[in-house]
Formats: sequence, structure tokens, C-alpha cells
Amino acid sequence: MNLINRPKFQNAVKALILLGLALFLYTRLADGTLFFYINQRFMIYTVLAIVGLVLVAISYRPVGRQHEPNAHDLDHEHVHAHDAAEPHTHHRLTWAGLALVVLPVVLGVLIPPRPLGAAAMENREINIASQPRNVLPAAVRAAAQKSSLDRNLLDWLHAFSASPNAAEAFAGEPVDVVGFVYHDERLDESQFMVNRFIVSCCVADANVVTMVVRWPDGATLENDAWVRVEGILQPGVFDGASLPILSAQRVTPVAMPDQPYLYP
Amino acid sequence: MFVDPTRPAPDDISPAAPPPADSQASVPRRQWLRWALTLALGALALIAIFYDVVVSGQGLPYLYQRIQTFVTISLGIFIEAVPFLLAGSIVSGLIAVFVDQSAIDRYLPKAALPGAMVGGVMGIVFPVCECGVVPVVRRLYEKGLPLSIGIAFLLAAPVVNPVVMLSTYSAFGWGAVFVGRIVFSFLIAVVVGFLFSRATPEEVLLPAVCQAHADACCAVHDHDHHQPKAPLGQRFTQSFTLAGDDFLDMVRYLIAGSMLAAAMQTLVPQSALLAVGQGPVVSVLVMQALAFVLSVCSTVDAFLALAFAGTFTTGSVLAFLVFGPMVDIKSSLMFLGVFQRRAVAYLILLPMLLSMLMGIWWNLNIGW
Repeated sequence: MNLINRPKFQNAVKALILLGLALFLYTRLADGTLFFYINQRFMIYTVLAIVGLVLVAISYRPVGRQHEPNAHDLDHEHVHAHDAAEPHTHHRLTWAGLALVVLPVVLGVLIPPRPLGAAAMENREINIASQPRNVLPAAVRAAAQKSSLDRNLLDWLHAFSASPNAAEAFAGEPVDVVGFVYHDERLDESQFMVNRFIVSCCVADANVVTMVVRWPDGATLENDAWVRVEGILQPGVFDGASLPILSAQRVTPVAMPDQPYLYP
Repeated sequence: MFVDPTRPAPDDISPAAPPPADSQASVPRRQWLRWALTLALGALALIAIFYDVVVSGQGLPYLYQRIQTFVTISLGIFIEAVPFLLAGSIVSGLIAVFVDQSAIDRYLPKAALPGAMVGGVMGIVFPVCECGVVPVVRRLYEKGLPLSIGIAFLLAAPVVNPVVMLSTYSAFGWGAVFVGRIVFSFLIAVVVGFLFSRATPEEVLLPAVCQAHADACCAVHDHDHHQPKAPLGQRFTQSFTLAGDDFLDMVRYLIAGSMLAAAMQTLVPQSALLAVGQGPVVSVLVMQALAFVLSVCSTVDAFLALAFAGTFTTGSVLAFLVFGPMVDIKSSLMFLGVFQRRAVAYLILLPMLLSMLMGIWWNLNIGW
């Protein structure tokens, strides 16, 4: 019999895969890179999954030694299982199946974790205040209650969305936000976008909240660099629509926040 | 463990893999062919994804970033779905060991329509999302569950369950979208379940599942006599081992599905989809396509849909909320672990068609 078909090998491999997956999830949880993939509120499920995977993996331990007195029972059950009840529920792993099952862990280890950034922006809808947008009324209220300087990019989008003419209504308000830099083709040398991805569930549903920033040295900033932008809002035009533009007074490079995404 | 060397390996996750050959002699060659086809398909997909990088000549750093984005998104879908798939597998393992086959026989209706309706509301008892429901349904089929009940359960459970109802309520409040989502998910699931009652298990289920299904149907009565009652701890261990087998079996489809979904996101940009149109018909199609490509878990897709509620027609948002939980890239790949390919095609097409009709009808008659 081929190595892969040996029952003991099958059990050992299955247990190892499950433990490996648990370990992979644990390392991502421990170093905080889990938040590169999923919304914070799902963290608890990942913790439960780690516990569950370990428990399931343990159930594959060899039963022969520990249950010597019951060996007859087990045999009986084994035969019975083959006879009538569930002869086809015992799934065998092939080499191909094995390769596929370990693929996420291998990819995750080989390619260093990194949150979505400028490279992902070309594919996505960019939320700028010029578009109407339905949001939770509670989120709008929460954003309205925060003082201007405490609002993050998503709060600002919420605040803008509640106003029929955001460009004029918010003119002169002070802004202090953190985000990564993206140079859109539609912007000139003295402008850039400061962005955060918002993630409802996992990064598959991510889209971007953006503010257009006017800053004379905008061109010197690299895509994906994390910056803190302080300035005031002024009415402006982007891509034919009027919207509030952030006229920067200070742009400081900062480290990437622990949670690179914002959660609605 | 329990190895049956005469059975070919159930590892056909590649949609392009050839149909099972009849003779056992061709097994090695078939496996080789399957490998080659899968590799070729993978290579083609990679070329397709990174075609623009090569053409635009933006060089290796850019390529690397794209790969990183692809890996991040596919791992995102995977990591988010693993807990739910594991929960479903553990439920499935517990059902395998602790639920008596005769119970299904005794308590569930035999007739197709009542059966489908019961299946449509079973999600209230088993609150599982679209990843967790697949192993549970497979196990229930192996316990002899009638086809129509299982199909209706499979399609309805991701929406008609307390967790998803709560998240939909908190996103949209009490209103047309909330009620419409639940009512139409139930109706579509029942209709599709009812249609499937016309088919035989052999036509719909994979041979392995079907065999167990048939055994369970016929063996119901003598099953009770000679089942040895092992100690409780041992039965738990056994159900966890079965859960592990189930998990490892289904996770392959999940992995393939999450990578496919991530690739599709690179190929079909969200912005391109959303730019297509706003009409009462086109908007519905766009939102269905988006639901299929995004493959977001049904427990939170309401919050995502909310973002589109302002710009898109109500019918199309409803189509997103009804169709997405039933069928998306990752769940349709997972269906391949339970059903025949043709049945999977029907399982994708029928809900798509019905939810499309629903969305268009809503737009034309109830309002945008």
C-alpha cells in the first residue's frame, strides 16, 4: 500500500494539518496581523476556531493503547460502521488534497502579511464625499457628536453624507486624520489622497474612504506611506464634483496603526 | 483509519477535471490528467490576473504587490470562514454519532412541499451560515434526509436564522428590506427544494453520499437493534474525528473557492461592476454578480449592502441580500463536495433566476 493510504499516516497527517492551521491562526492572532484580514469583531470566532481545531486534532490520537479494555467494542463498531451505517464518511486524503489543504498556511508563511494598500485601490470603489451614501443613522449621529479633531476618515465621510452640500457646509473645519498615501491620476503634483480601507467582514469586502489633500510637497510622498494630516477643509472640485478638500498645514509620517482598517 | 482502497479518491475540486471514468484501470492516468489540468488552469488564471502587469511593464515590485493583495484577500475569506466551517463540521460530527436515523424518518414530513417548507425554517434551529450549512446538509443526507428538505435547508438557513435576522435588522431596521429578505429567501429555497424533489438521489448526490443515503433509508429499522452504545467520552471522540474528516474534506473546496474569489476580484473590479448601470433590470444583475464575486459571509453582508442602499435600487439590494447567502463562489465550490456537477449548476442557476425575477419585480411594482 502507498504511504498516503496507510491509516496511521492518514491520522497523523490529518492531526498535524489541523494543529498547523491552529498554530498559523494563533501566530496571526498573537502578532496582531489577524487584523490585516478580518474585522475586529470576528476575532472571537478565530479564538474559538483555534480551540476547536486543537480539540478535533486531539481526537485523532491513537486509541489502541488508551482503550485496551474496549478493543472489542471498537472492533465491533468498526465492522458495524463498514457494514451498514456509514461506510463512506471516512474521507481519505490524497497527495493532491494534502497540497491544497496546506496551501493557505504555505502562502501565509511565504508571503509576508501586509494590509491592503495602494495596489488594491485601482480595483475598488473609492468613497469620496461627492457621492451620496446610505449609512447607519447611528453612525452619522456618532460622527456628529465627535469633535472635528477626533474624527477619523470614516467619521468624516459619515458627517459629509448627512449634509446636502458638504463642500460649503464644512468649510473651515479643522481636520486631523491618519491614513496611507495614494496618488490618483486625476490629481496634480500638489495633491494626494489620504485613505483608509473600511472592512465590514473580511478584506474581500473592503472599500476605501478617501480625502483629497492639497499639499505643495505632495509629490514627494510615496504611495502606501502612512501619514498624519492636519489642516482645514475648503470647498474644492474633484473629477467634476464639488467636495470638501483638505488643505494641509502639516503632514507627518507615522507608523502604520495597529489596526490598519476602519470598521463601520 | 477506515480505508476502502477500491474507492477512487474524492478529490475532484477542479471544475475542469474530467468526469469520472468507468473502469478502475484508468485511475492512475485519470489522476495524472487531473493534476495536469488543474495546473494548467492555475497557470492560466495567474497569467490572466497578472496580464496587465506584464503588458504595462510596471515591473516586479508592482507584480509583488499584486500577489500580496491577492494572498491577503484569499486568506481574508479563508480565515473569516474557517470558524464557521469548523462549527458546521462539529455539528455534523455530533449528528453522525448522536442523532438516530429513525428520528429523521419519524419527525420530518415525507411529502415534497411540506418537506421543503420545514427545510426552509430549519435554520432557526441550526443557526449556521453558508459555510457551516454544507457539512451539516451532507451529514443529514447520509442519515437519509429527503432531498427537498436538504436543498431548502441549504439555501434558506444562511438567511432564515436568528443571527442573520438580527444583523439585517440592525442594518436596515424593521422595513421592506428586512421582511423582503427573509420572506423571499424562504420562498426561493422552498421552490428550489420542491423542484429538486422531482429528481432521484442518484442524479443529485455524489455517489459516496448517495450510497450512505440509500443505506440509511433501507437500514432504518434494523439499525436500532445492534448499535453498540459506547461510553459517552468515546462517542464524543468519535464525533470529533468525524468532524475533522468533514472539515478537511470541505476545507479544500473553501480554499479553492476563496482563491477563485480573490482572483475574480482582481479580474472583475468592483468599480467596473458598479459603473455598469442603474436601471431596474441592470442594477439587479450587477448586485447579483457582486454578491457572487464578493463571497461575503451572510452574517454580515447586510452591513455591506447598506453602503449600496443609497445608490442602488431597492430590488437590487434585495437581490444581493437574498442571492448572496444562497450562492457565491466559495459556497458553490463547496456544493461540489455534496452534489453532482449538474445538480450544482441547477443550485446556482435556479436561485439566480428566481432572485433576479424577484428583484426586477420589486423594482417595477413596489418601487426603487
